[in-house]
Amino acid sequence: MNRHSLMGHLALASPLVLLMCFLVYPVADVLGQGLFSGTGTSFYDVVVSPVTQRTFTFTVIQAALSTALAVLLGLPGAFLIVRLRFRGKSVIRAAMIIPFVLPPIVVVVGFLQMFGAFGILDSLMMAITGSPVSVINLAAGLPGIVLAHAFYNIPLVVLMVSASLERLNPEVEESAELLGASHFQNLRRIVLPHIIPSLLASAVLTYLFCFTSFPIVLALGQGSYMTLEARIWYAFRYFDYGEASSLALIQILVTLSLAYSYVRLGRMRQQGIAPTSSAKQVGLRDLNRVQVVLILAYLALLAFLVAGPIAAVVRSSIYDPLTRSYSLAGFENLLSAGTGGGLVPLVNSAFYATMSTLFAVALGIPLAFAHRGSKNPAASLASIMALLPLGVSAITLAYGLMRAIVVPLGLSSNPWPVIIVAQTIIGLPFSARSIEIALRSIDPALLDQADLLGASRLQKLFFVELPLLAPGILVGAAFAFAMAIGEMSATLFIALPQNVTLAVAIYQNLGVRKFVEAGAGALVLVVTCLVAFLTIDRMTSGSSGGTL
Amino acid sequence: MSAGQYPTRRDPRRVIMGLAVIVTVTVAAYTVWVWPRGPANKLIVYTYDSFMAWGDDPLTIDSRVFGPFMQQYDVEIEIVRLQTDANGVIARLITELERPVADVVIGIDNVLILQEPSQSVLEPYTPSNINLVNDSLIASLDPEHYVTPFDFGLVSLIYSMAKINATTHPEVANLTFSNLGTTEMASSLVTEDPHLSSTGLAFLLTEIAVYEKLLGQDWRQWWSQVHGYVDVLPGWTDAWQVWSTEATKWFLVSYGTDPAYSYYSTNSTPDAAVAPVYNAGSHYAWMQVEGIGLVKNGPNPTLAKAFIDYCLTSSVQSYVALNQWMFPVNNEVTLPTAYSYALQAEDVNILNALLPRSEIAANLTLWLDEWDIIFSS
Repeated sequence: MNRHSLMGHLALASPLVLLMCFLVYPVADVLGQGLFSGTGTSFYDVVVSPVTQRTFTFTVIQAALSTALAVLLGLPGAFLIVRLRFRGKSVIRAAMIIPFVLPPIVVVVGFLQMFGAFGILDSLMMAITGSPVSVINLAAGLPGIVLAHAFYNIPLVVLMVSASLERLNPEVEESAELLGASHFQNLRRIVLPHIIPSLLASAVLTYLFCFTSFPIVLALGQGSYMTLEARIWYAFRYFDYGEASSLALIQILVTLSLAYSYVRLGRMRQQGIAPTSSAKQVGLRDLNRVQVVLILAYLALLAFLVAGPIAAVVRSSIYDPLTRSYSLAGFENLLSAGTGGGLVPLVNSAFYATMSTLFAVALGIPLAFAHRGSKNPAASLASIMALLPLGVSAITLAYGLMRAIVVPLGLSSNPWPVIIVAQTIIGLPFSARSIEIALRSIDPALLDQADLLGASRLQKLFFVELPLLAPGILVGAAFAFAMAIGEMSATLFIALPQNVTLAVAIYQNLGVRKFVEAGAGALVLVVTCLVAFLTIDRMTSGSSGGTL
Repeated sequence: MSAGQYPTRRDPRRVIMGLAVIVTVTVAAYTVWVWPRGPANKLIVYTYDSFMAWGDDPLTIDSRVFGPFMQQYDVEIEIVRLQTDANGVIARLITELERPVADVVIGIDNVLILQEPSQSVLEPYTPSNINLVNDSLIASLDPEHYVTPFDFGLVSLIYSMAKINATTHPEVANLTFSNLGTTEMASSLVTEDPHLSSTGLAFLLTEIAVYEKLLGQDWRQWWSQVHGYVDVLPGWTDAWQVWSTEATKWFLVSYGTDPAYSYYSTNSTPDAAVAPVYNAGSHYAWMQVEGIGLVKNGPNPTLAKAFIDYCLTSSVQSYVALNQWMFPVNNEVTLPTAYSYALQAEDVNILNALLPRSEIAANLTLWLDEWDIIFSS
């Protein structure tokens, strides 16, 4: 028993130790040097600067607006995915992840073509109003930034909330209905409390994601809008380590306080868990006309917002705007193995992302268990640490990893293990959070039964907990994979040419005007993620089907 | 579920072992695949991502340009194109300061070298064949010889001739900042963020030089006027994307060689033209000089110095025009015919002369902060 609890503690502590080595230590090293070595702007000067204050205000506001929009648009989607029975659902669910894997530059180009001046939406409006000049440009300024962030994060809300909704026992709702509860009461008293943790978690992740966003803000903000992350990037470029560290510290403090209040809120909400089960579903035919119309309208809106930019990507993989012709050269390039060919980035991306997904899940499970553990400080620490990577700017992390890990270990000419480390860290908040949410909905009675039947801890983990956690793990793994494969900032800084990933290669190809090569790369990214997601889906649904 | 059949259970330990074996094999295979090859004493050159990437055959360019040197010195040269621009290259060199890997760095320009951190990672070196390079280029780049000129270009506005031309808008022939200040013109201009792009910074310096030195006016007034209309993108790539895809964007801050590139790559009359800034009878442009330098405490200093010398010879310099789309610094090299479409240094007054190096070094941060204040209001 003692040996077991020791092993258990070790398992729970391992992610914290690793995060200390690969996140806290490198970042603290950079911050310490920047804040105390006296190079560049001092913390005080940074805080009192009007530019910092304006940037801070804008960062907070745009993140709040983006989160509100993503939740508003994502919530109905979560219900539809779970409650509505329709063909091709698994494909739609998998497709939802696509926005997350697209490199920001691809999103920006897709957005401009869809929502920009003389874009598809604008052309439509011009045709309707008969106006010869541009009527509407949603791809610029604050509306553009908020829309693009919503585009990125709607999938997060949909997938996290639907994973938790799937675990709501239909019997509870049925009993409520039998007892005379109206639809609304049902929603308010039963469904909402059940999904609150996942809703809150996805909102916090979205908020932090938008809070530290910067390529989108820079590209659509026309120089007028900046986030703290963008200013950190600026400061690093001009070697003002004082300013960079000060801003990074502010960002970390905001993240920590947000993470802390999230944990506190989560504790307050913790309540009786319904028996584990799968959700009830209805067909489109069972609904009345108003409901069908509403659903169709919602789907049309979502298709426009999410599918539009994706359609632009598909087209760009075969259409070369320079020669104004269609070509398959992009795909040929992806299969060429030499320098400049797409095969090396493809293999790199697949390898790094798969490895970091494995690690993110392997670390996410003990983190989630540690969070559940008890009301001790370690649980809060685990939860806060799991969110911290989102608040540490990617460039600060990359810089810290270079200084504190790569160079001292002599990995400068072969730094790929550290790329995997960086991508794992960046994916960890997503895997840990969705596994934790799934863990909350496990009925403790099931575990007690397993104990009574004499299951070992490992058997309990493998045959009871993991299969029940499967939907959470699936969502977490998918997001960790998507974050890893789309990650650019840290990879850009650490990678040598032989470590280039697909996301980086796309950016470079756009830089040298190889449009179809870039487009084909983006399409492969999209398809890879789709296939990966469907595979995990197939695997986990098989296992949970066998257990339940 | 309903049938009450239990699936056969695998032993969890075996599942873990199996997974561990697969992961180990994959990692081992990948490690072998990417293990650094070749002799241990390579000469390593750090540069930015698009170095010599614009030619007919960028894949073989390194062996064509540097092959003779490799044969002569029996050494392998690895041109490491970091996935970033010159500022990022310096940032990497700073992180590696205690254990330098690179011997030589190419691409540090005449603004970047003014910053103390750039100098801190370099060792001054004057090549033996420095006489191949025009003195004015050395003076513009770095009289202290931390870096030696490698190539140079003129940063200028270019416009798409399909969208606008001298008939529709006669002012493009002699374009002034006040022309560009109108709502119509400012809305059609795409530039790059001066924090993130050397072309964007060159344009900011162009504007400052024209307003402060030629017109004697406050440089901030033009930016305040166009703020909200002009499109500022993070980098040249993004800016070019927007300029080339959006019909409403006529002007782009880019290089004077763009029409030559357009002519060369499409084999027809260029679809873009240059519009250098005009003031009181003359045209002006900012000159960007990119340099090559010796990394401080690099592994092979002797070889590195020989390499820098070699880079100034026509064996390297003759490749610059069509692969970098910048002008070679070696004045013995003849330019290709496509360059008749490029903006030449003789066609314009060089603005760099108006803004001394010391003035830029002292004011750069201040200017960028003030630009931020205008743009965040």
